[in-house]
Amino acid sequence: MALAETTRETPLGVGEAQRGGEFGRWVSRHALILLLGVFMMIFPAIANDFFLRQIAGWTMILGMIALSLMFLGGYGGMVSLAQMTVAGVAGYMIAVLGVSSLPKVSFFWPWWVAAPLAIVIAVAFGTLAGALSARTEGIYTIMITLALATSFFYLALQNWPIFNGFNGFTTIPAPHFFGVKWGDPVPLYYMILFFAALSYVVVLYVSRSPFGLALQGVRDNPRRMEAIGYNVTAHRIAAYAFAAVIAAIGGILLVWQNNQISPFSVDVAVVINLLVIAVVGGLGHPIGPFIGAFIYVMLRTFALDALVAVGLDGRRFQTLIGLGFLVIVLFSPDGVVGLWRRWVTRVGATNGRSGR
Amino acid sequence: MATIFDNEQRTETATGGDAFGRWIGRHPVWALIIAVAVIFVLWLVLAPWPAGFEQVFGKKLIFINALFNGITLGGLYFLVAAGFTLIFGLMRNVNLAHGSLYLFGGYMGYEATQWTGSWLFSYVIAFLSCAVVGVAMQFFIFRRMEGQDLRQTLVTLGLSIVFSDLMVWVWGGNAIQIDTPDYLDGPVGMPIVVFVKSNGEAFYLHYPAVRLVIFAAAVVIGVGMWLALNRTRIGVMIRAGVDDRDMLSVLGYRVQLLFVVVFAFGAGLAGMAGIVGGTFQSLSLGEDSHFLLASLVVVIVGGMGSIPGAAIGALIIALSEQIGTVYFQNYSTVLSFLIMVIVLALRPQGLLGRR
Amino acid sequence: MSSIAERMAAAGTGNAIELRGVSRMFGALRALTDITLSVRPGERRAVLGSNGAGKTTLLNCVTGDFPPTSGTVRFFGEDVTLLPPHERIRRGLRRTYQISLLFPRLTVRDNVYLACRGVSRSRFSLIRARASDPIMQSVADLISLVHLEDVTDRLVGELAHGQQRQLEIALALAGAPRFILFDEPAAGLSPNERRDLVAILTALPAHIGYIIIEHDMDVALRVVESVTMMHNGRIFKEGSPQEIEADPEVQQLYLGGGHG
Repeated sequence: MALAETTRETPLGVGEAQRGGEFGRWVSRHALILLLGVFMMIFPAIANDFFLRQIAGWTMILGMIALSLMFLGGYGGMVSLAQMTVAGVAGYMIAVLGVSSLPKVSFFWPWWVAAPLAIVIAVAFGTLAGALSARTEGIYTIMITLALATSFFYLALQNWPIFNGFNGFTTIPAPHFFGVKWGDPVPLYYMILFFAALSYVVVLYVSRSPFGLALQGVRDNPRRMEAIGYNVTAHRIAAYAFAAVIAAIGGILLVWQNNQISPFSVDVAVVINLLVIAVVGGLGHPIGPFIGAFIYVMLRTFALDALVAVGLDGRRFQTLIGLGFLVIVLFSPDGVVGLWRRWVTRVGATNGRSGR
Repeated sequence: MATIFDNEQRTETATGGDAFGRWIGRHPVWALIIAVAVIFVLWLVLAPWPAGFEQVFGKKLIFINALFNGITLGGLYFLVAAGFTLIFGLMRNVNLAHGSLYLFGGYMGYEATQWTGSWLFSYVIAFLSCAVVGVAMQFFIFRRMEGQDLRQTLVTLGLSIVFSDLMVWVWGGNAIQIDTPDYLDGPVGMPIVVFVKSNGEAFYLHYPAVRLVIFAAAVVIGVGMWLALNRTRIGVMIRAGVDDRDMLSVLGYRVQLLFVVVFAFGAGLAGMAGIVGGTFQSLSLGEDSHFLLASLVVVIVGGMGSIPGAAIGALIIALSEQIGTVYFQNYSTVLSFLIMVIVLALRPQGLLGRR
Repeated sequence: MSSIAERMAAAGTGNAIELRGVSRMFGALRALTDITLSVRPGERRAVLGSNGAGKTTLLNCVTGDFPPTSGTVRFFGEDVTLLPPHERIRRGLRRTYQISLLFPRLTVRDNVYLACRGVSRSRFSLIRARASDPIMQSVADLISLVHLEDVTDRLVGELAHGQQRQLEIALALAGAPRFILFDEPAAGLSPNERRDLVAILTALPAHIGYIIIEHDMDVALRVVESVTMMHNGRIFKEGSPQEIEADPEVQQLYLGGGHG
């Protein structure tokens, strides 16, 4: 199935380098995303705390974690359900190594020790997940990563010495440095925006680097990749490690925004919803996961009222999500990004015809 | 080596004693280790434990209970995983809604016992209702996207989200237990000495009859599946389809019939397992993902597409869970996780799986 | 054409390919039986035989796509029997596939680029290649060598069959090959494309040897200096193209009654 829309950017970035001087052309080609960037920069001026945290914050964080899934699924052809768990491991580690309401469990190390260490541990976990599933292909990856993700949920649920079991951790503060309280809505918003934008740009850039192209080669034809000199397994594992960094940062931001983490932050429903986000947005382009996350967050926030307004039971939010997902999988396998691309092509074709 | 019972294995059973002797001849060290392990386990089970031994490892009663719980839970896991692995083996469809079918079957069985009062009859209802859902899924959806493994899997995922939410709607979030019928209620005495009182009086193990009966039923179903796959026409077709998918095209239009039958049977099996689970434990929100996970791990460990693999995997995972819960409370899931990791590292296709 | 001795001097010592007692089983089916074969550096050899004679299996054993069940494979004197395919490729071995194995969702340029990168050190680099990167020049050269300049930025999945076959060859020529295995490169090509193919093969630098499997005798016998005949997984005759063509047994078996 063509989950990922084919990549049709300027090959190898050569074109971009040649057009380096033509700033205007570059701006017009990226008009939409630049506009979005400007809007996001001034968003705090027009939005209240609720929109900053509950809508924008959640969208960008879930978008980042889904981006790590999209990187593996769209470029590497490996649909990993372990990415939410990687984020969860990072989030748990921040709580365990750093500060929480549980002095008996947490180590209370400063954030600049805890956060890098949390990322390292989460990346190690993500790489392990990759190593275990990289030798198998396609649907096996889903099975193995889902089993890993669910195992971690039950571990966190049943283990009290490290994970504090059912209750998890609460009152985990966001750090405080450079004289800024990063837990306050506006600074937190900008911190999340910074990392979300950074990960988006990095993924876009890496997709045309030798590593990213080779990953797409592995997706298209692993056997041929071996036959032109690539160690396919090593490449896949490296991709898992790369994706895990993004997911881990997302996980830490998630905890800093919510100030808590529990097994239910990484349960099967959440793990699956993350896949829903990535697939609904589209695995063909790094913007897809953010679009998917936005749709999901809007639904989650407003579906209750909307369902009640049309006379339905507001609690059936998950059914709505599931049905929406089914519609996308059945009718537009490349997600909203795919719909958008097809629409642009159609409009382009119509314009071309009328112009002639 | 074998996917679903290949010929090699059958010829071996034909000349069973002979092959066994030859195997010992070829692997004397392994044979010795296995013999010692078997004798040790037999001793653990049959002999009363010496006081010093009990001091280190805890009461024998606890161990024996964990062992029996593990084995009988293995029977339940097998019922769930067998359908999962059969559907996967034949259609390459990772049915992530399998846990939902399990839970749905359990709820339908619960309703049936409420209406009719017959525990046995509820199995028929659960089997049929899940089989109907399975047929509908195969007929209306998967038939239209054959060969698109990943897309099928995503569809099952979407369905599982919807099913799970709808079931919460109908049956609520609280745990429901299915009553054990009177004739199976209560424990039965087993010829296993748990401890010897100071006056020399031996105390025997008493174990819930229903669990033993259900385990026996799981064994019967397993053997029945084995026979059906090896001795009937449709079974031969299924086996051939699992081993060589090109063979399926030879069947022409009948392949759809085969798919529908297998999907219905696998789903129905999951539904019956739901009643077993509802009687052993309880039915509630979240049990669908619990049993989906169990099926995944069992099938990954045992080998994807293999029925004997599902049996071995179910036993290993259920035992490790039960023993783990008793002896390493905080890390019991780590045990089955570790087993899965080791199997994947050494034999990515699973113990009895084939590439 | 330069002499064989010159080519040997250019490529170093030892045989380019040396198979000793190579057998390959598929279950109970014996695809290759006790193959012993040596090809000198720079030598160009055809492997002929009917379908099912084990020709492609032989290539797979050399490249490691399917390792042999028994026997050893040496590449320029080094035992590579247990090396994975990508390690053999990095030592200068290349191959093409009978049924094109390409990257359909990438452009022609990216396909060739991947092949060039595969044998360079920066396979894992996260930095994009600049236009001035020497690798970009070799990519462009390879594309023009196989006449695909017009479709450089097209997706490979959209190319015509003949173009895909040409690309298949470009991928095998990327990097610095020392020995190439061609698996029916002319299959499905038009007469014009076949002429191009023969031209490309004969124009290869002298130190690059190859083994070619080909059903089209016109192509095969024009581009090689030695021939190995296979039958039922065994080597059945070796010699120069003239000897093989003249051999009555071969004529009766293959050349007479419609090979294929």
